[in-house]
Amino acid sequence: MDLLSMRESYQRDRIMLCFNGPISRSLIEEIGKALRNYLDTQQATPSAAMDVFAVYIEMTQNIRHYARQRGYDEAQASATVAVARDAEGRYLISAGNLVELADGERLVRTVEALGPLDRAELKAAYKQQLRRPREPEGGSGAGLGLLDMARKTSRPLQASLQALPDGQGFFSLTATI
Amino acid sequence: MITMTQDLDIPGSQSTPAIQSSWQAGRLAMQGDSYPENSYELFDQVIDWVRRYLEEEARPLHLSLALVYLNTSSVKAMMDIFDLLEEAHGEGREVSVEWRYDPRNERIAELADEFREDCSYPFAITPTAAPA
Repeated sequence: MDLLSMRESYQRDRIMLCFNGPISRSLIEEIGKALRNYLDTQQATPSAAMDVFAVYIEMTQNIRHYARQRGYDEAQASATVAVARDAEGRYLISAGNLVELADGERLVRTVEALGPLDRAELKAAYKQQLRRPREPEGGSGAGLGLLDMARKTSRPLQASLQALPDGQGFFSLTATI
Repeated sequence: MITMTQDLDIPGSQSTPAIQSSWQAGRLAMQGDSYPENSYELFDQVIDWVRRYLEEEARPLHLSLALVYLNTSSVKAMMDIFDLLEEAHGEGREVSVEWRYDPRNERIAELADEFREDCSYPFAITPTAAPA
């Protein structure tokens, strides 16, 4: 393993925290705790720290809910998560996971449709989604999580989908706080 | 009249709030963060307690909240609780909420305020004194 090139790449991209692998409930909590501690040492404002944490939670829980819905095994349910700062000091939260190609295409369209919405429109859409009947397995639905993230970001959420040789895709989402 | 209803006394964890109820006092209290994956695993019993209290008692109900961060799944569950209160209020019941928050974090007040928009009963959002 070339740890040095990994390190250099993290430093170049100002990645403060990253994770790749099967993500359990407790791991989400532990990484979240580390993230909060880190933000605290960086003297992020309490509201910025909470927004970054909230986006991280919604992204990773969306990935868990999706993998469970699809019946993915541990390897397929792996998540790639990174939290970075850009040159202007904004926080970038990114998460990626395997998806069925059609699901990924639908997700990208959903995220792109949120882009042009202003604050009031996002709030109205969020409240409307909140009032939908609960889902059988208890998730709030990716739609609500996406709307929640979109309301916290300083620029539209960015989604991308890369097709993989086996017919699946790698979906990734980035939020800027 | 003797009621068999059990009060709730649930300790908090990293991702779940501490919850206490008092049937006797007509009071429900919750403190801390709430971001479990499936919020209804936790909140169903709370929703159930509120529903039964409002059905079986005629006395007031007061919610005393010091919740900090809620994931969207928890927001949905809390909305169900506030809706039960709104319904009872519409039938003339005395219900109220006080949500205390650390004024250094305005996100909590914003969250509480969005819940309050859909409620017509007394709903106070109160900054706590900042620790010295």
